[in-house]
Amino acid sequence: MINIKNLNKKICLGEIKSVDIIKKCLNCIKENDIKIKAFLRLNEKDSFIKASQIDKSNMKNKQLSGIPIAIKDNIMIKDHNMTAASKYLEHYISPYDATVIKKLKMAGAIFIGETNMDEFAMGGSTETSAYQKTTNPWNIEYIPGGSSGGSAAAVGSGMVPLALGSDTGGSVRQPASFCGVVGYKPSYGLISRYGVCALASSFDQIGVFSKTVMNVALLTSIIAGKDYNDPVCEPKGWIDYTYNLNNPYILKNLKIGIPKQLLDYKIDNDIVKVFNDAIKKLKLEGAEVFEIDIPSCKYINALYKIIMCAEVSANIATFDGIRYGYRSLNCKNLNDEYAKSRAESLGYEVKKRILFGTYVLKSQNYYKYYHKAQKVRTLLIKQIKDVYKKCDFIFSPSTLQMPVKFGEILSDECDIFLIMANLAGLPGITIPYSFSNFGMPIGMHFMGPRFSDAKLFKIAYAFEKISNFNINIFPKYLSPVLHKKDKI
Amino acid sequence: MFIKEKELNIIADLAKIYINEKEKVSYLLDLNKMESLTEILEKIDVSGLEPTTHLTDLRNVWREDIVKPCSRKIVNQMLNSAPAKEKNFYKIHKVINVK
Repeated sequence: MINIKNLNKKICLGEIKSVDIIKKCLNCIKENDIKIKAFLRLNEKDSFIKASQIDKSNMKNKQLSGIPIAIKDNIMIKDHNMTAASKYLEHYISPYDATVIKKLKMAGAIFIGETNMDEFAMGGSTETSAYQKTTNPWNIEYIPGGSSGGSAAAVGSGMVPLALGSDTGGSVRQPASFCGVVGYKPSYGLISRYGVCALASSFDQIGVFSKTVMNVALLTSIIAGKDYNDPVCEPKGWIDYTYNLNNPYILKNLKIGIPKQLLDYKIDNDIVKVFNDAIKKLKLEGAEVFEIDIPSCKYINALYKIIMCAEVSANIATFDGIRYGYRSLNCKNLNDEYAKSRAESLGYEVKKRILFGTYVLKSQNYYKYYHKAQKVRTLLIKQIKDVYKKCDFIFSPSTLQMPVKFGEILSDECDIFLIMANLAGLPGITIPYSFSNFGMPIGMHFMGPRFSDAKLFKIAYAFEKISNFNINIFPKYLSPVLHKKDKI
Repeated sequence: MFIKEKELNIIADLAKIYINEKEKVSYLLDLNKMESLTEILEKIDVSGLEPTTHLTDLRNVWREDIVKPCSRKIVNQMLNSAPAKEKNFYKIHKVINVK
């Protein structure tokens, strides 16, 4: 798989034309996306115009000059349609750029298309999209994971080298693991969410997909940083996350904690085998691997469901069919208009979460559910902080279950260790490590203390090197474009 | 079942979402499943713990409301997103009915 830094260098030196990259990319998408269905829309004309401008102009010297990137369809690109995979926003045109998009435009990136997702990012399989079903590139009978399933499948199939997603409860890292790519969720407050369709605001973060840790670190360096339009964005100085990424001694004496609560869950056999192999390799590299105790692990699911749904019900309340979005016809009055517009345009999963959120926030229930959950969240965060006094990073399988076939249901515990990062605002990264007996990818997950993102990338980079996953191998039926064999 | 049909009707009314009879059956099933998942929290001792409402040190910042000029282009763009408009306004159903 291509190294974006090198590809960018070649474009800057005029050795490769951005137009040619875009052409190859679009041809690849046209050939493969019939099966994968990762893209909701392609920006063919705009991409070519932008690419030829870059080839001719002095915009060549930017970090992502002429590099194609796919964007999850809940991130606003000015004058582009943004649906969040919902009928409610079917005809919505973004009036401004999200902060990350603004930064990517300045860096010279080309937005080749918008990717499919679960409706308003609510789901873990991309099946709740109102438009299409995205398939897993490694076996099209299986789900790609979600909610950023389109972005994960687009990168996993080699159609694009980079993609953005959003991660509220594992929505970047779970599909990344299912599709055999690197998926990263930053510390809460590292990347601005301005211009991103909100799901649950105390969890939401923008995340990054690519085939390599180096590319993910590069893209993160470009989009991270303080933004006055997102009040939770922390005023950290600019960091180049690719700096000193290759540190061969980083794993030596590194203290890695394995939650002993892993034993409480049913984990697929293939994943257990691969996880044990990964631990063995980490030890061989000199890491100190030991058990840690996070007793509140068992509350994660309940906590997440209550707080997330409560925040969903507050955020989705802004969808009133008045200022934008779908409005039902033939309504009797204003209340009727709200209720019918939502009923007709929102999917079952979205409505279910709004209803449950309303239930836990109802005045009679507020203290029993929402307030209590917030206190238990404090308890969980405290326990995790204590654990980080003993270990540097927490290591676990990314998911406890392999991807399932369409229509089958993933267990509630599948991505419990990913959700932990969202509940505590911690950075997490999944790195493809191996394959199951059935040829599906298996990812491993590192989670660090808040704002340890730079060190997390270094560890992920070293781990990537010892993994059994060959990133140059793609599913046989696919013909990926940005690939070493293509000599670009 | 903890959440009964009467309760579901109240929640749907609060959330301002119409749900039909057919949907009600599956919502009742799913919402009760979610509710039962939360039972685990009941017995936890959280005395002395503050609720985590957000993860950053956010504080309210008060400032005066100042009207800033806005270009016609942006106003039009915002209005054009609306399903119904009239002149410079979003058009909605009558809220106050004067007889």
